[in-house]
Amino acid sequence: MDYIKKSPWICVYNAGSCNGCDLEVLALLNPKYDIERFGCELKASPRHADILLVTGIGSKQNQKRLKLVYEQMASKKKVIAVGSCAISGGPFREGWVFTEPVDRIIPVDMYVPGCPPRPEAIIDALIKVLEELDGDKKDKPKQTRRRSKKAKK
Amino acid sequence: MHNTTLPIGPQHPSIKEPMCLRIRLDGNNIENADLRLGYVHRGVEKILEGKQVDSALYVAERICGICEVSHTAAYLSAVESAMNISINDKVKYLRTFLIELERLHSHLMWSGFLAHEIGYETLFMYSWRERERILEIFDKYTGGRVHHNVSKIGSNKYDLPENSKKFIFDRLDAVAKHAEKYRREFEKDNIIKARLENVGVIPEKEAKRYCLVGPIARASGYKVDVRKDNPYFAFDQVDFNVITRNEGDAWARTLVRMDEIQESVNIIKQLINNMPNEKLPKPELHMNASGEAVGHVEAPRGENFYYVKINSGYLERAKIRTPTLNNIIILEKILKGYELGDVPVIVGSLDPCFGCLERIMVAKDKKIEEHDEDSFRKKYCEIQKPEVSYD
Repeated sequence: MDYIKKSPWICVYNAGSCNGCDLEVLALLNPKYDIERFGCELKASPRHADILLVTGIGSKQNQKRLKLVYEQMASKKKVIAVGSCAISGGPFREGWVFTEPVDRIIPVDMYVPGCPPRPEAIIDALIKVLEELDGDKKDKPKQTRRRSKKAKK
Repeated sequence: MHNTTLPIGPQHPSIKEPMCLRIRLDGNNIENADLRLGYVHRGVEKILEGKQVDSALYVAERICGICEVSHTAAYLSAVESAMNISINDKVKYLRTFLIELERLHSHLMWSGFLAHEIGYETLFMYSWRERERILEIFDKYTGGRVHHNVSKIGSNKYDLPENSKKFIFDRLDAVAKHAEKYRREFEKDNIIKARLENVGVIPEKEAKRYCLVGPIARASGYKVDVRKDNPYFAFDQVDFNVITRNEGDAWARTLVRMDEIQESVNIIKQLINNMPNEKLPKPELHMNASGEAVGHVEAPRGENFYYVKINSGYLERAKIRTPTLNNIIILEKILKGYELGDVPVIVGSLDPCFGCLERIMVAKDKKIEEHDEDSFRKKYCEIQKPEVSYD
């Protein structure tokens, strides 16, 4: 974990989800999963946040607000689409409210599939985004390559 | 003093789900409140229309992430009574078991949420730690923490896993022990009492007039509970009390929910001790049934009501009424006269669940109008001034 240098804050936006994904994102706070050990903290205002977690189908009513929330964030921002609804509309893509998935409305850096994804999967996505956000590549732990049998000889 | 209009939401720290609450303030006192919804609307009733009965279950499960089991149970009880399907005792017990587990997880989640609203972060963490124990039981039985997908029409997918009795009882005992401690904290702590007592008072008369349901009605002394009034599944075979209080304020609503946790733990223990040794019937496809019926279930927030009309195996119409629809209407009334700082406590104590609520589609003069936020507000939300004539 040496390569995580700053403590990025997280903002959640519910763009028309069933609460399932929001509950799993909030479950990251509790003592079992505890994302504060990576320096992350859930913040209400997008102006304080570096990473935006979007859940839900991005319905017509929400699209303008979602863009607004994205534009309010300071630059060098990352977006994670949580849940199958945010990726493709999920079971509600037949509905008249769904027009286009979240990644057509705002740019998305990481996708977490699942209905809802487990907290472990969301933590995994967060850490991958953190590496891109502030980690220098030099500081990354060196990946040990397996030597082939020929190279040993 | 000058008047201000303060918009709260849709993206706001004290609201876990998007809703827009506009508050007219006179100084620090609330003069008027206006609730605007529609951010979580997904058109669920329209999606359900024209679906095959078995595949519609998949959508009905995903209407809400908090009260998922009660949506499933209400849908199943409506569909099964429309098709005249009888279920055996084992299936009844397993469904009741899931419904009560859901009540536990919802109330624990809510108590943590209220503690967070007051600013008591430690209690928030403790409550959510206990909630994880319930989710572990869900995980062991169904394989899912939030959405479970175990119920089928006339049957259940799985039986309880073998030797799971000790696993479940250990967790239930821990939850009951800790929930008792947190209840004492809510009851005795002076700071919590100062924030909750005499805030958002609903008298019994108002509760009946507004047709409130669930713990909110019970905290006002209005004894209404579908589990006792019209027992469904295995609720006629277990002993439990319907908990009521007479104060009707946010504090009473908290204590009613904390007491219901103990009752639910007792119900689950009775269910597991008396679990019948029958075999689960094989799930079937229902292609040629028709009829119409209603079904209702006591969800964690109150009565959950389904109406279905089936035509040769396909849903012709599904009408859903969730408890939040009954309970949220009184919000604008009880906010009046309190201070701005009481808003999160009053909204939180009503425990709204907008994921359930929002399925309303407005069609006017046989036309569907499409609006974005601004154009909708321009056309429908501006208050038209009454014409005054002086003669």
